[in-house]
Amino acid sequence: MIIAESLLLLSLLAVLYLFVRGPHAWDRLLGYNAASNRIFVLLALISVISKRHVYLDATIVYAALSFLGVVILARFMERGGGHR
Amino acid sequence: MISDVLIGIGLLFVIIGTIGILRFRDVYSRLQASGVSDNAGLGLILIGLIVRNGLSSDDLKLGLLLVLLLLTNPIITHSIAKSAFVRRHGPGDGAE
Repeated sequence: MIIAESLLLLSLLAVLYLFVRGPHAWDRLLGYNAASNRIFVLLALISVISKRHVYLDATIVYAALSFLGVVILARFMERGGGHR
Repeated sequence: MISDVLIGIGLLFVIIGTIGILRFRDVYSRLQASGVSDNAGLGLILIGLIVRNGLSSDDLKLGLLLVLLLLTNPIITHSIAKSAFVRRHGPGDGAE
């Protein structure tokens, strides 16, 4: 199971590289969304494997708040702010 | 056993999608790679975790997480694509 965690962590690092590099603002927003998806699945994986069941509540709250943040940022850039 | 197979298939989807996200050239192609592979791969990993966990009250939380992932990821994809389209971001812009 350590293999699954490290592969998911490697994928998270690759997506964070896109978040740093991305030429436009939408690439960065896409990288942020993909990274937050991988982060909460990794958190659920850790909480099930090492049997720390308190982490699942934090995972649900993190998923809901990251959805809200990405949608609000996309609406903000649609109205014409922040890109470039 | 079954959960290992499900988590393995999900990791395969996630890694292929990550390679697609890094290698494609503009925003819309990256959205396509991300939207297709993240739903399949991360959803399969969560289903594998539900199978692995056994029958307990944590299955409801993992199921809520799965429903949240499958419900919000298409909305986010649509929202980013509409935001890039409204600001006249062309299909070839941003190519390196």
